[in-house]
Amino acid sequence: MDYIQLAFDLLGNPWIRGVVGLIVVGVIFFSAIVMVWLERKFLGDIQTRPGPNRVGGRFGLLQLVADAIKLFTKEDIVPENADKPVHAGGPIVALTSAFLMAVAVPYGVVSFEGSEYLLAVTTMDISALYVEAVAAVSIIALFMAGWGSNNKYSLLGAFRNIARMLGYEVPLGLAVLSVAVMAQSLDFVQIVSRQEQLAWFIFMQPLGFIVFGVALLADLGRIPFDQIEAEEELIAGVFTEYSSMRWGFAFFAEYLHAIVGACLVVILFLGGWSGLPFLGTLFIPPVLWFVGKVFVVIMVMIWIRGALPRVRIDQVTDLGWKVLFPYSLINLVWAAAVAMVVS
Amino acid sequence: MNTTGELTLNMLKEKFQVTEMRVESPNRVWARIAPDKILAIAKFLSNELEFDHLSSIAGADYGEALEAVYQITAYSHGIVLTLKAKVPKSNPVIDSLTPVYWNAAWYEREAYELLGISFRGNPNLAPLVLPAEMMGEYPLRKDYKGYPNPT
Amino acid sequence: MNGEIETQINLKPSEMLLHLGPQHPLQPGPFLLDLVLEGETVKDATLEMGFIHKGIEKILENRTYLQCIPITDRMCYLASISNNEVFCSGVESLMGIEPTERAKYIRTIMLELTRIQSHLLGIGEYATDIGFLSMFLWMIREREPIISLLEMVTGARLNHSFVRFGGVAYDLPAGFKEKTLRTLNEIRKKVEKHDEIMSRDSVYLKRTKGVGVLSRKAAMELGVAGPAMRGSGVDYDIRKVDPYLLYPDLDFKVITAPNGDVFDRVKVRLSEILESIYIIEQCIDMIPGGPFKQGYNPYLIKPKPGEVYSRVEDPRGEMGMYIVSDGTFKPYRVKVRGPAFATMQALPPLLKGAYMADNAAIASSMDSCTSEVDR
Repeated sequence: MDYIQLAFDLLGNPWIRGVVGLIVVGVIFFSAIVMVWLERKFLGDIQTRPGPNRVGGRFGLLQLVADAIKLFTKEDIVPENADKPVHAGGPIVALTSAFLMAVAVPYGVVSFEGSEYLLAVTTMDISALYVEAVAAVSIIALFMAGWGSNNKYSLLGAFRNIARMLGYEVPLGLAVLSVAVMAQSLDFVQIVSRQEQLAWFIFMQPLGFIVFGVALLADLGRIPFDQIEAEEELIAGVFTEYSSMRWGFAFFAEYLHAIVGACLVVILFLGGWSGLPFLGTLFIPPVLWFVGKVFVVIMVMIWIRGALPRVRIDQVTDLGWKVLFPYSLINLVWAAAVAMVVS
Repeated sequence: MNTTGELTLNMLKEKFQVTEMRVESPNRVWARIAPDKILAIAKFLSNELEFDHLSSIAGADYGEALEAVYQITAYSHGIVLTLKAKVPKSNPVIDSLTPVYWNAAWYEREAYELLGISFRGNPNLAPLVLPAEMMGEYPLRKDYKGYPNPT
Repeated sequence: MNGEIETQINLKPSEMLLHLGPQHPLQPGPFLLDLVLEGETVKDATLEMGFIHKGIEKILENRTYLQCIPITDRMCYLASISNNEVFCSGVESLMGIEPTERAKYIRTIMLELTRIQSHLLGIGEYATDIGFLSMFLWMIREREPIISLLEMVTGARLNHSFVRFGGVAYDLPAGFKEKTLRTLNEIRKKVEKHDEIMSRDSVYLKRTKGVGVLSRKAAMELGVAGPAMRGSGVDYDIRKVDPYLLYPDLDFKVITAPNGDVFDRVKVRLSEILESIYIIEQCIDMIPGGPFKQGYNPYLIKPKPGEVYSRVEDPRGEMGMYIVSDGTFKPYRVKVRGPAFATMQALPPLLKGAYMADNAAIASSMDSCTSEVDR
């Protein structure tokens, strides 16, 4: 008990909190690096090529470090007619949005001498709503990048992004709402514990899971929904005019969004850090459960990227408004009905 | 020799008073025509004889005169009719085939900038492969001395 | 080429001029595609080219006939044997000679191998342009053994300079037949698998069906070449229409597809790969013995004065060469009629009214080669 008390005392010290915060930031960055590495290797496997295999041994473990060094030492080119503050702000806002999202995500629980402690930067009773809200900030970030670059390709990319996000934030929000209705809470912790009581929400509302998954992929802008930076159409879309670490920020923000997105899938639909019921006797720490599930979700995302061509932008908005939106409404009704029956 | 090719030539002879002509092989026939008749001949070929495909337009420099060379063929058979029209170097103008064959446009542009044969009636006789400042140098003419390197 | 184009076009306030190129990830080589966009819709398209004009026609006038062969390679590295073939068969008919029987077989096999590898890369490039990177890498993997086969015979991977007047440069190496049959069997299986992916993947179908439709009539009028033409239902193949080498005696179909959209053009290419494999398998069992080239000095080639227009079916379509000889050691005039040139010309009318995002699919389904267009 003394240790716990000591830990809380230490956390009261702002300096210690700062250090812990930096560690958390480091872990988040590190997970993004791991994801980039995984993506390269796994995609390489799908495409029958070795992937990075030179820097850092046979598995290219240090490839991303080399990339980061390259990005840091590259010349920072800003177009002459760019709206400079807006241009510079784009990637920063994108990265900020990703970190703000990461803040509210709980990663698991630690049992210590009989009581459970939540592993999270912060807890709030509306965390699902909060994550949705700060995720939407990235739309502004991409529009800033597209508008500030003073480049027609960037602008087209930014327009596409807005058109797409308008179509997808709605089903995404409705899917989260259905989960909240079923869990009777907007708090991630409550949602997870509700899933422990009932069943994973992927089984309770499979339609909702599909809607959320597709909308999330679109939200993250990964293939098949990477129209905003479709290389063959728009060169690099909104990030055409970015170089060096400005581009690096945007790149990191994208992968952080992907990781937080995977965390959301796990928390909302895959039972968070709770284990599989039939493995009840086998002890695996909740954090490992959580990380393992996130890993699986990320692998599925990469797999989808390797297996599908890009969808056209008008087809994307069509899919959002004409398919996902009605389905998400149906799912909401279903979730409400089930919630009434269960409670 | 091949009757179809010969027949075509005979019809051309009848209608357009073509004098110089020969059948080179079953699938290749050759005729020299007057430059002012090219459009009429092309219309006749494409409308009545099913020569519906313009394979290529070339040009050649023969000292005093330039020659426009048309390879007209069809999608349904393999006979290539080569038409040659001589235009004087001092005033190398010939009718454009674009009203008959849409795809003549680029071939004519190319012949125009590389040899200087001007095609009357081409909707956009602009340089195609050469930079605009090289217009008027006509690199494929035999008296061309090489790019003078203006830089 | 035209810097003032922006001021020449009167744009409405809702329209935007977008320059695609001369450097753009979409392009197989540099050209400038000026699109007038209204939102995502292309209102007008103009094409400017000549960024890599090499003046090959002029170079050919200043080389002896033998020296010309490597130059023709450089028109398009994906079809270098076809380019050799069209030049050599033209010169052969000027000289009044025929390739030896064995050489005919070797040349036919090489031409079909070239077609297979060119189509594989063409489909792969097209797949990246619709965002299907995996398909590109699969195609590259499939293409590699074909390139090895070509290398085994010619000693070069891309620019072969293999065909000679009346024959070929080298005889077939030992073990070529077995290796070819084995490789082709594997390729056939894989191509059939890719064909299945490409006809069943719903995202892919959505992206390609009914996009960039070129009707039969329009295709004939615009004069596009090769698979683009056959994808519109016109069974126009020089191998059938104006046969050369062994093609009159071989059993093969002209692949066509009825709809003329992006999907069909690619489908035609995939089926042509299978057809080419079938052609090679027919030839390879029947290769006769005898000399593989005519016995005379290639350095002293001096055709009679005259002119000829020779045509072959390039992987991209009708490739023609108009050769004028004046009885000297060098050709007097050579005019190249490239299939990519003809197809590229038809691109702007086809892009009009399409979505900006479909640009990539339409342009690369044509499988154009800027190197050959500019020559």
